Amino acid sequence: MVLAALPAALRGQGGSTSATIAGRGIVAATYSSREPLGGDLAKLQVVQPMLMAHATAYGGALRVTSTVDFEAWTIPDGELTIAAWGEGFVDRRHPHTVLHELMVSGVGRLADAEFSLSGGKGFAAFGSDDPANRLTLRYPVNHHWSQILERAVLTGGVLAGPVMAEVSLFNGDEPEYPQESPNFSRFGDSWSARLTALPVRGLQLEASYASVQSPEHRAGSGTDQDKWHASAQWTRPLAGHPFYAMAEWAETVEGDGLFVFDSFLAEASWDLGATRLYYQFERTERPEEERIFGEPTRSVRPHLEDAILGTTRWTLNTVGVGRDLLAGGGALRLRPFVEASYITVASAGPGVFDPALWYQGTDFWGLTLGITVGLGRTAFSHLMGRYGVSEDILGRSVAPHQH
Amino acid sequence: MRIHMAYRAALGLALLAPAAGCGSDSAGPAPTRLIVVAGGDGQSAPVATGAVLTAKVTDVSGTPEEGVTVTWSVVSGGGTITASSVTSGAGIASGTFTLGQVAGQQRARATAEGVGGAPATFTVTGTAGPATQLKKSTGDGQTGWAGSPLPLAYAVVAQDQYNNPVAGVTVTWAVTSGGGTLSSPSSVTAASGAATAVHTLGNTTAAQSATATVAGLTGSPVTFTATSTTGIRLVSTVGVPANYGLHDTFVRDGLAFLCVWDEGVFIYDFGNGIAGGTPEAPKRVGSLVTAGGNAHNAWWYHSPSGSKRYLFVGEEGPGSVGSSSSGDIHVVDVSNLAAPVEVGSYHMTIAGGTGSAGTHNFWVDEANEILYAAYYNGGVVALDISGTLPADLSSRELARIQPGGAGNTFVWGVMQYQGGDLFASDMLSGFWRLRYTGGAFSVVGGGNNVPERFTSDLWVQNGYGYTGGWGNRGTQPGNAVKVWQLGAGTPLLVDSVITSGITTVSDVQVSADGKLLVFSAENGPNAGLHVYSLAGSPSQPVFLAKYLVAQGLHTATVETVAGRTFVFAARNPANPALMTFEITSLVP
Repeated sequence: MVLAALPAALRGQGGSTSATIAGRGIVAATYSSREPLGGDLAKLQVVQPMLMAHATAYGGALRVTSTVDFEAWTIPDGELTIAAWGEGFVDRRHPHTVLHELMVSGVGRLADAEFSLSGGKGFAAFGSDDPANRLTLRYPVNHHWSQILERAVLTGGVLAGPVMAEVSLFNGDEPEYPQESPNFSRFGDSWSARLTALPVRGLQLEASYASVQSPEHRAGSGTDQDKWHASAQWTRPLAGHPFYAMAEWAETVEGDGLFVFDSFLAEASWDLGATRLYYQFERTERPEEERIFGEPTRSVRPHLEDAILGTTRWTLNTVGVGRDLLAGGGALRLRPFVEASYITVASAGPGVFDPALWYQGTDFWGLTLGITVGLGRTAFSHLMGRYGVSEDILGRSVAPHQH
Repeated sequence: MRIHMAYRAALGLALLAPAAGCGSDSAGPAPTRLIVVAGGDGQSAPVATGAVLTAKVTDVSGTPEEGVTVTWSVVSGGGTITASSVTSGAGIASGTFTLGQVAGQQRARATAEGVGGAPATFTVTGTAGPATQLKKSTGDGQTGWAGSPLPLAYAVVAQDQYNNPVAGVTVTWAVTSGGGTLSSPSSVTAASGAATAVHTLGNTTAAQSATATVAGLTGSPVTFTATSTTGIRLVSTVGVPANYGLHDTFVRDGLAFLCVWDEGVFIYDFGNGIAGGTPEAPKRVGSLVTAGGNAHNAWWYHSPSGSKRYLFVGEEGPGSVGSSSSGDIHVVDVSNLAAPVEVGSYHMTIAGGTGSAGTHNFWVDEANEILYAAYYNGGVVALDISGTLPADLSSRELARIQPGGAGNTFVWGVMQYQGGDLFASDMLSGFWRLRYTGGAFSVVGGGNNVPERFTSDLWVQNGYGYTGGWGNRGTQPGNAVKVWQLGAGTPLLVDSVITSGITTVSDVQVSADGKLLVFSAENGPNAGLHVYSLAGSPSQPVFLAKYLVAQGLHTATVETVAGRTFVFAARNPANPALMTFEITSLVP
């Protein structure tokens, strides 16, 4: 579809035009030792089923990036993920919108600097890469603190030497269900800026700020957010094997300072041949909202008020190992993995939400056995959320890391 | 005069006729005499009675002719008439027209030999005779809501012996069973013979009947029967923008003040008369967006001096339940209801936490001109609202109290009981009895008495207090209405009403007559409006009816408009609306 959208004249022009398309999905059997209101739960789910396309023309001056996500049909009730939250889901990772991203970028050069302008639906220039492009299957709790995605967005970027600056305009509202489009009437009510630097080989430093208007209320009357993010990423071989590490801090201030949510996350991976070992530590605060009667993993939507029940702080340790079975083969890619998490929760500050009562305890174990199935050369390397110069800076810093 | 004119016209036609006939083979023989109306045309007479008609016969020159036989016939109306009569020396012949039995115009004519095609025509109006019978017309056998008017009026028809409608008959109406009322004790029949009355059914499902009586008439009295049903009746729905929706509604004097969050305060006429609105068809009067939006609740203040200038609006800002809150009290001048203007506000600052607190529900002691406002973590505040209010009401603060103490206070609502003590519902610390005297609050009793649930709204009446529950405290849903005996000191818990399938009792109120307990419920399959009877005992509510609303109802305000009892309820997003229910039929 994306290819069809390209002007016919740009196709088939030798080296100046290229296109890739790939698909992937994960079959995962996940166990959680503790659930809301007590008890344990195991589920077999297909998560992150996606079709991804990337095309370039005019030697990369024109680019199209698209990801179509089918989670609306495979996990309509969310992915079993204790501590995850957002878009009306709690302790479940919400399904992403069907049209996850469709961005068109124009890239040009002026002297030694590279400029880009990207527009469409996708990620705003803020924070770190999407968790689907990183190590763990388990989405971090800070998903809504460290990324801004699925918006109608216009991003301008400049890459000059080891420094990249990006600014995005977008609509503040988050989607409420997978088939929902951004509220285009709100385009431009929110903005973000991200500064990325590569001071030494293998090191990437990043700092972001975003002013997001009413993300939780589509009409625009909800509380606003000021979001800060900073990260450091290191990608250099360790003992002769590829090594990656990243640490990020994020803070979201909401309601004119009434609510402050902090997050710290650090993760690392070490590739020993076709085997990858990885670990992630996270400590993140999240708001607690009133849950729907009979659906303890959903919160009341639409909102009635701007009140929350309190804040919880989640501490997660996740360790995993995966192996590429067909790394040198053809289009089919298989990567089985096993991932285990130990999680604790505590109240962070005042409020009436008592996690010990709600979960009948405060510690959780999780275990996932899964296999990532990819089809296509870029099945494991397609990066979401990077457009224009943000895509190009990758060649100067890190290789993509995915679970 | 009419006779004279008719005569002249006929004469003229007769004189012209021969000339007109020249050259025309189809013309009949020329008339040799004329016949005209002499008397009796245009008269009225009761049906089936005789009316005398007279005709005059002359020659073509106008000279009366004697001894001419005049033939009479009925043209319409079904009556009878003298077959023939002979003219006198003045050319006059008379006949008696016995009218038909149907009221209305009846016609007859007279003719004689030699008059050609120009007979004399008479019109007589037959009028109904005296009423002799009373018959049922419409309205019998209806089913309606107990306590409410039937959709159709009862109607009877007075008729004479020939079934003609008789106007001007006075019909006496009376309820004979069921305890309802009629729109009038008597009514007079119209030209159609009908007299009507509207039956407002009694508040019972027992047999309901009424009679229409006219003494001496056959068929009187006429009995009408109706079947009454009881329940909650949705009478109108007023949609509001899907922008956090509608929160509380304050109703007074037939006006409803809808607090519609960032959309502001909408003022609707539900029977005040200012805009011709009714509960079934409310009309918008005006609106205002208060500073900061988040309009949550209101109180239209009527001062002892009679001033109705001020509307107090509560702003419910963001907060963390149990610990922090925000939002001010806004003062709106509603002297012109069509164009309200904000003229002041009150902001509470507190020590600790975020340094401020936000308001929730109000109660106004109008006699003493004091506004009591629940202020969540700020507790309860008393404000002097006498006279002209300043832009900043901070100087009007009289006293405040955190009944549960810092960290254990999150007051949802406050209400004064019979002009004396105040009662407060605290989400954290339960149900309190407070007293404001000498410029200071004190705790009389209560508190820390609902440890298992978050307490929500309250109402005090009949010597009892009623408190709701909110959300989940741990895993315990706020699905209870607790009943408290107020006594003179510490409130005593005497009963609870548990409603399965909800997590929140969001608003509680007792009807003004003390007979109905009404609460709104949210979050669950039983969300909606619930009505209980307190008629047997105010300490033991008895379930009467419920009206389920899938989205839940956020608030429910009980008010009487034109003698009928309504609930003004806020339906939650995604399609928020003010739903107006009539519950008159449930009033015991």
